[in-house]
Amino acid sequence: MVFPRRTALYMLLVGLVVLFLSPFGWLLITAFKDASELRALPIHWWPHRPSLGNFQQALSFWPYLGYARNSLMLSTLYAVLATLASAWAGYGFARLEAPGKRVIFGVLLSTMMLPHIITLVPTYLLFAKIGLLNTYMPWVLWGLCGAPYLIFLFRQFFANMPKELEEAAIVDGCGQIRIFWRIFLPQSWPVIATSLILSFSWTWGDWIAPALLLDDDRTTLAVRLAKGYFTQHGEPLNNLVAAGTVMYVVPVLALFLIMQRGFVSGIATSGLK
Amino acid sequence: MSSTGQLTAPASVPAPRAVPARGAGGPGGRFGSLRQRRTLSFYVFTGPWMLGFLTLTAFPLGYALWLSFTNSDGLSPNPRFVGLANYREVLTDQTTLDSLARTGLFTALTVPLTIAAGLVLAVMVNQPLRGRGIFRTLLYLPAVMPPVGAGLTFKLIFDRDSGSANGLLDLFGVNGVSWLTDPYARWVLIVLTMWAAGNIMIISLAGLQDIPKEILEAAKVDGASPWQSFTRVTLPLLSPVLFFQVVTGIIGALQSFAPLFISLDASPQGMASVPQDNFLFMIHVLTQYFANGRYGYASALLWVLFAIIMLLTALVFRLSKGVVFYSVEPQAAGKRPRTLGGK
Repeated sequence: MVFPRRTALYMLLVGLVVLFLSPFGWLLITAFKDASELRALPIHWWPHRPSLGNFQQALSFWPYLGYARNSLMLSTLYAVLATLASAWAGYGFARLEAPGKRVIFGVLLSTMMLPHIITLVPTYLLFAKIGLLNTYMPWVLWGLCGAPYLIFLFRQFFANMPKELEEAAIVDGCGQIRIFWRIFLPQSWPVIATSLILSFSWTWGDWIAPALLLDDDRTTLAVRLAKGYFTQHGEPLNNLVAAGTVMYVVPVLALFLIMQRGFVSGIATSGLK
Repeated sequence: MSSTGQLTAPASVPAPRAVPARGAGGPGGRFGSLRQRRTLSFYVFTGPWMLGFLTLTAFPLGYALWLSFTNSDGLSPNPRFVGLANYREVLTDQTTLDSLARTGLFTALTVPLTIAAGLVLAVMVNQPLRGRGIFRTLLYLPAVMPPVGAGLTFKLIFDRDSGSANGLLDLFGVNGVSWLTDPYARWVLIVLTMWAAGNIMIISLAGLQDIPKEILEAAKVDGASPWQSFTRVTLPLLSPVLFFQVVTGIIGALQSFAPLFISLDASPQGMASVPQDNFLFMIHVLTQYFANGRYGYASALLWVLFAIIMLLTALVFRLSKGVVFYSVEPQAAGKRPRTLGGK
C-alpha cells in the first residue's frame, strides 16, 4: 500500500529535478555547439561535433579573464571585510548591553527588510560627488560597515555561546576586544565560512552596483557578460554567450555544492544551545 | 538570492541575555564601572555598522528625498526647488501608472505562485525518502544561480531560432514564436522567477523541521488524516515562516529589474530594449535616471516605491494578525522574524 505511493513520489521528484535542471542542460549543450550547428534547423538536441572551441573564443573575444579578475578581487575584498565587520558588530549585539540597544537592534532588523536598490541610486549620486566612481572604495566602505543579514547571523551564533567563556576571561582581566578576537572569533569558523561564501557570491552575482559605479574597463564579469557577444555586424554569438555563462556560473555553483557540508555543519553547530 | 535559505535553522529564538555581571557580588563601584565599560564596548562594536547605516543608507535616502523636490538632472550645479511638481507628475504620468500596475500584477502573480511551489517542494523533500538530500540540493541549485547567468540561460532557451523552447514546439508541429518580445516575454519572466522556487523550499523546509514531531503524532493518534494534519497542524505552525516569505517576496518583486537580464541590451542605458509587458516600475525608474537623466523625477519615483513597500509591509503585518500563529510569543515588539529569509 505504501510502496506505490512512494514510487509515485520518487517519479514526481525525479521529473521535477529534470525540469529544474533542464536550463543548465541546455546551457551546456549550447556551449558545445559551434556556430554553424547553432543555426541548424530543426535544432540539434545534442551537439554533433562537440568542441571546447567556444570556451577558448569566449575567453579571447573580449578580455574575459581581466573581467573575471576584477570580479574576483572585488568579491574577495568585500567578503573578507564584510565578514570581519559583521562578526565585530554581531558580537556587540549578542554579548554586550547598553541603553538604546533594543532600538538599534530594531533598526538593524528593519534594514534587512529595506529595499536595497532604493538606496543604491542615491548612493551612486553621492559617490559621484565625492569622486568614488570607478574605484573599489564603495565596496570597501560597504564591507567595513558589515551587512545586516551577516550581523544577524553572527549575533545568533555568539548569543548561543556559553556565558562562562567570557566570564572567565573577564576575571582574568581581558578586555572585550581581546575576548572577541581571542575567544569568540576563533570559535565561529562555521559562521565565518558561511558568511564568506554568501558575501562572495552576492558580489560575484551583483549586477546593478558595478553597472552603476564602475566604468567599462574596471567593471565585473557579470556586467560585461550581460552585454553578451556580438559580431561586428551586431549578430549575437549565442554559442559564445553559453560558454562564457558556463565559466561565469560554475565557480558559484561549485562553491555551493562543495561547501554545502560546511553550511549544514554550521547550522548544526549553531543550532545546539 | 544565494544560499541564505540554508541558514534558517539556527534562527531559533536565543535565550534572552542575563543581566551582565549578575551575581558578581562585588562592591557597587566595580559593578558600575563594568557596566559603563560594557556600554562603551557596545558602541565600539556596533559603531561601524551604525555609522554605515547613517552615511550609506539613511543619508542617501534623505538625499533622494531632497532631490525629489527639485528638477535636478545631475549636471546643472544648482537644481531648482520645484515643490511637489515631481509627485504631481507621478500621478499623471501614464508610463508610471502603467508600470506600477504591471508591477502590481507581477507581484500578485509570482509571490503566491513561488510560495505555493516552494511549499509543495518542501513537503515532498521532507518525506522520509532515500536520497532526499540530493533532491533538496538539485532543486535548490537554480536559486544559487547569479541573476545575470539565469537571464542569459533563459535567453538561450527562448531564442527564436536556436532555443529549445521553439525546438520543443517544433516537435509537435507548432510554429515557434519570439519569446523574448511582447506578448510572450512576460511568461518567460514568470518562469524565470519560478525557477528559483528552491529558495522558498529550503526556508519552508527548515520551518517544517522545526515542527515538533509529538504534535503531528498526537494528531495521528486522534485520527486525523494526513491532509487534515497538514492543513490543521502543519500549516498553522508554519504560518510565521510563510508570512515572512510573503513580506520579503513582495519587497523583492516590487523592486525587481530582472526583465533587464532577458532583454536585448542589458546595460543601464539599455532599458528601452525591455519589452513593454516587462517594463516594471524599477526599470522605469532606472530609465528616468540613466537614459533621461531626470534625477529629480526619478528620486520621486523611488520614494513613491519606498512608501508603497512600507505601506504594503505594514498592511501585511496587520492582516496577518489572527492568521499567523506564533507558538512562541514573538520577541521585541513582534518585529523579529522567527525565520530568516533572502537578503
